[in-house]
Amino acid sequence: MVDVNLSEAEKTFIVHGIQDNFREDGRSNEEYRQMDLETGLMSNTSGSARLRLANTEILVGVKAELEEPKPEKPDVGRLEFFVDCSANAAPEFEGRGGEELATEMMNLLYRAYSASTVLDVSSLCLQSGKLCWVLYVDVLLLECGGNLFDAASIAVKAALFNTKIPSVKVRQEEGEETELEVSDDPYDVRRLDVSAAPTVLTLSKIGHNHIVDASQKEEACCLARLMMAVTASGSVTATVKEGRGSLDPDSITEMMQVGKRVGKAVNEKLLETLKEEEQKGLKRKTVGFLR
Amino acid sequence: MLTSKVFIKKTKRGSVMKIVREHYLRDDITCGSRVCGLCEHPKKQQKPPLEENPNNRSSLCKRQHYLLPDTNVVLHQIDVIEDPSVTNVIILQTVLDEVKHRSIPAFKRMKDMLGNPDKHFYTFCNEFNKDTYVEREPGESSNDRNDRAIRQATNWYRQHIRNVDIVLLTNDAENKTKATNAGLQAFTVYDYIKSLKDAGSLVDRLANPLTKVSIQGNKVLFPEHLHLSDIQRGIKSGRYHQGNVLASRENYLEANVSVGGLDKMVFIQGMINLNRAVDGDIVAIEMLPESEWSCPSSLVLVDREERQKEEDDLDENEKEVKNPVPEELRQPTGRVIGIIKRKWRQYCGILQPSLLKEATRHLFIAAEKKIPKIRIETRQAENLTGKRIIVAIDSWPRTSRYPLGHFVRELGNVGEKDTENEVLLLEHDVPHSNFSQAVLNCLPEMPWTITEEDEQKRTNLRHIDICSVDPPGCTDIDDALHCRRLENGNLEVGVHIADVSHFIRPNTPLDNEAASRGTTVYLSDMRIDMVPELLSSNLCSLRSNVDRFAFSVLWEVTDEAELVGKPKFMKSIIHSKASLTYAEAQMKIDDPNQHDTLTESLRNLNKLAKILKRRRIENGALSLASTEVRFYVDSETHDPIDVQVKEIRETNSMVEEFMLLANVTVAQKIKDEFPHCACLRRHPSPPPSNFDPLIKAAKSKGLTVDVSSGKALSDSLDKAQFPGNPFFNTMLRIMTTRCMMQAVYFCSGMLPEDEFVHYGLAAPIYTHYTSPIRRFSDIIVHRLLAASIGADATYPELLDKQKTQMVCNNLNYRHKMAQYAGRASVNLHTQLFFKERVQDEEGYVLFVRKNALQVLIPKYGLEGTLFLNAPEKGAASLFTYDEEENTQTAGDVVFHVFDPVTIQLFIDRSNVQNMKLSVKLVKPVVPGFSVPPAAYKQTTEPPTKKRKK
Repeated sequence: MVDVNLSEAEKTFIVHGIQDNFREDGRSNEEYRQMDLETGLMSNTSGSARLRLANTEILVGVKAELEEPKPEKPDVGRLEFFVDCSANAAPEFEGRGGEELATEMMNLLYRAYSASTVLDVSSLCLQSGKLCWVLYVDVLLLECGGNLFDAASIAVKAALFNTKIPSVKVRQEEGEETELEVSDDPYDVRRLDVSAAPTVLTLSKIGHNHIVDASQKEEACCLARLMMAVTASGSVTATVKEGRGSLDPDSITEMMQVGKRVGKAVNEKLLETLKEEEQKGLKRKTVGFLR
Repeated sequence: MLTSKVFIKKTKRGSVMKIVREHYLRDDITCGSRVCGLCEHPKKQQKPPLEENPNNRSSLCKRQHYLLPDTNVVLHQIDVIEDPSVTNVIILQTVLDEVKHRSIPAFKRMKDMLGNPDKHFYTFCNEFNKDTYVEREPGESSNDRNDRAIRQATNWYRQHIRNVDIVLLTNDAENKTKATNAGLQAFTVYDYIKSLKDAGSLVDRLANPLTKVSIQGNKVLFPEHLHLSDIQRGIKSGRYHQGNVLASRENYLEANVSVGGLDKMVFIQGMINLNRAVDGDIVAIEMLPESEWSCPSSLVLVDREERQKEEDDLDENEKEVKNPVPEELRQPTGRVIGIIKRKWRQYCGILQPSLLKEATRHLFIAAEKKIPKIRIETRQAENLTGKRIIVAIDSWPRTSRYPLGHFVRELGNVGEKDTENEVLLLEHDVPHSNFSQAVLNCLPEMPWTITEEDEQKRTNLRHIDICSVDPPGCTDIDDALHCRRLENGNLEVGVHIADVSHFIRPNTPLDNEAASRGTTVYLSDMRIDMVPELLSSNLCSLRSNVDRFAFSVLWEVTDEAELVGKPKFMKSIIHSKASLTYAEAQMKIDDPNQHDTLTESLRNLNKLAKILKRRRIENGALSLASTEVRFYVDSETHDPIDVQVKEIRETNSMVEEFMLLANVTVAQKIKDEFPHCACLRRHPSPPPSNFDPLIKAAKSKGLTVDVSSGKALSDSLDKAQFPGNPFFNTMLRIMTTRCMMQAVYFCSGMLPEDEFVHYGLAAPIYTHYTSPIRRFSDIIVHRLLAASIGADATYPELLDKQKTQMVCNNLNYRHKMAQYAGRASVNLHTQLFFKERVQDEEGYVLFVRKNALQVLIPKYGLEGTLFLNAPEKGAASLFTYDEEENTQTAGDVVFHVFDPVTIQLFIDRSNVQNMKLSVKLVKPVVPGFSVPPAAYKQTTEPPTKKRKK
């Protein structure tokens, strides 16, 4: 994990602030920082999103490709995650330095999306055992400003929301090879229903309190954190405990409650924002990184 | 400004990809009008193409205006747009791109118009102009987007140019409404053209509007064509096949489809099964179950004019299809289920006379029998009767028995020789326009002289007694010969060919033009040169008593015609001593009093040629027969006054023999030097099944023909004599010729060496070297040979086997067409000859068909078809056809193949517009069918009206 060096005095200051529900940047313990989100900014992908959470910058691209379903699950399509931590984000990521973090993020995303209720993957299957859509979700970490897991998962959900899968009809007549029919209308596309997709919410235990959306400095003070994937309905699809410190069962239960509540709110707000952006339609000008 | 185009594509591997392309929008694309003061027109260019005062006078739009047609208008009304009176037209890039995508010929014509400064056409790149580019909207089809782009551009022009109006031409009702609502001036082409002041014949050229189809009510006659994507899937899965339609030359309701992958052609019979496919179209077909397989009806379809009620015909055809066909005759049969690509072009023909004088709808009959009638609309029918006209097909809706088309232009009166020549050149796709200035610029300047440099590079053969032997009146002499005694007692034989490749350098306009023409076309009374006359009849022609460049091949031979050493090839300068005709040369040889060197030389050549010929025949070369005729033309009227079969003299065969020798020698040489890119000629051995008709015919006379090899065939033909029928052998040879495959040019790198063989000449390798003035293949061969002896340099295209093969393919096509055109020309002259005559002639039955006899008339070398229909419609035919025995019987008279008959030749005038040579039976007498000999009648009077079917 990316660390900043803090003196003991600084750490004490942060911990004390949190005790009083008043963090060093003026937030309360359950408050998120400012988030900027834009989708559909990369035209060559099927779906894309860019998220800026304070200084954390994440770019996600989704590419849809036709492949054979896995033999054990012949009737569903699937998502494949890949995370790349750019060496631009932190000097620690140089060479293969980012791989550990990337694997960790990848594993969490796989787990978060492994529940059958989050995304209707069976609709991605075109022909049982032969042909299905595989969505390659590439997450690129461009800048580190704390709370990377949450940021990455929100960007992934936004990118999936934005994903437009070409509408393809499969025809098969007896004794013939399958034949794909691709619509020539670029607007004739299928969208994914991401309303049940989870976002990750990280609760960092600092002192005796826990906070959401820890900044880099706060992360340096944190000994243990609980990461949970929460859907808009408040159900939790994955949890991971991370860090050297230990958590007692009571505080886990409490953290779970907070996590569900905040996670639900984040999801709701996210969907609202995405729909708002969608309404602007074609007239919306993409910004990309020009700012 | 940058935007991007997004589209989704299916890759070959079966995956689906999203592809994004950059698309730059600019603000400096000019409008191309001279009245515009806003755009910065490029300074270097002359004036912008669109004029200040466009001279388009229409009652619909009183102000001066530019025209802006949409895609369908350009595609379908290109004949109108091509008219010189249509000027100042803006062609949008959207339109041009779509036209290119949908019809390459239309696109080429459009490009020509855009390049013509007199037309004042301008291409406006609206897709790249930031003000006129439109993006596709959700739910919008790509056609709708293009229509919107066109309207957007029209609107832009309207606001950009104030002094001149913009008129949008569109036939799409929705587009027109939308444009009008947006405040644009939009008219349909029909309304606009009709509103023009001097519309005249332009109205006739309008393509038939699809919407106006009310002919024959709305009875659907044809099954629907399948959608292209269904076709493609079907082809991939092997359920359908793709192929080229080759309509039968004898019956337009029958066709063969050549399908890649199948060795036999697929047969298609009947109007419904053909389903609106026209000769040349690329179609998708479905095989019929074997129980419905059929075979060509071997029935010569009586001329279409004589068929009366359309509905009747339809039923008749359906019956025809259901006829049970004996199993052994069945051929793979299919039906057309969709059209992949139309290959419609313009067709020559005449109007069918209409019963109603004022009618505007008419039927057009193409000169080619392969093409169905075409329904056109014209107001000038009266003008056009008796004229040859050109018509283009626009569409063929399911409800119409005939395709719909429109009038393009007229050629002239039927029966006039110039018109008819034009027709047959057009029909055979013979390029016959005058040579362009660019081509003429490549010619050497006159007076032409031989330079010092030429002298040094070439061997001087001026001192040798060379002469040329050709048919009388020949001006393009491309070969000359000599033969002289060497000091060692052997003979030296030389063949000297005009050095055309010296004048035609590769990749010049002259070269390209010659390559495209491929061959000189000889009609009975005219010649369409492959190279300009200065070369063909002067500088290249090896005339007597002038110095000419030649490409010479010299052999040393013994008196027994055995070759000694290797042949020598050289570029030379010769000075021919005499240009002889075959007859003159023959007289010199036969005259015992002449002993000059030239005569001696000819005698030696003749002697050697006989030995060579004998040897060739022993090797299994075939001597086949075809009859060639010559017309004696009245010097005043240019009408033929007599016709005669060409005479073959010894000297013909003498020249031929040495040309063959030269060709074979050169073929070997260039193949050795350029094994992968030599241009050769091969004549594939025909598959044994080709000979079936020949064997059957011979068998009927109790003879056997051995077709196991060329040699066996040649021998059995020599033996085949039939007492009492002197012409029998010739007829057998004519039939053999018909069994043969076409000889073709090819590039040696494209085929294995054992397929190089020339079957007819029994030569393992062959090429054309001896007539570079009239054949382009010979020019290529000359270039290769020159490169192989170091006399000339090669160039990249010459050594590229693909390119050479492409040139060969074109030559094969041109060659075939030139042959057809030549034959058609002979037919034409035969008709002119019989215009005032009725004559009885001896003939022989060549083929027996279901309802006709094909009769060969040796005197004129022509074939006539004797229809054996019943004298009246409905009555039973007098004749019974025996398919097994191949005979026709009427009472006690039986017609076999090869039977002698006497027939009467005359011009059938029952149809004034389309006269043709007809035959009637005189002997043997069949009561109620044959006619009395012509001598009993006055010859000038037209014969009694032809019996009605």
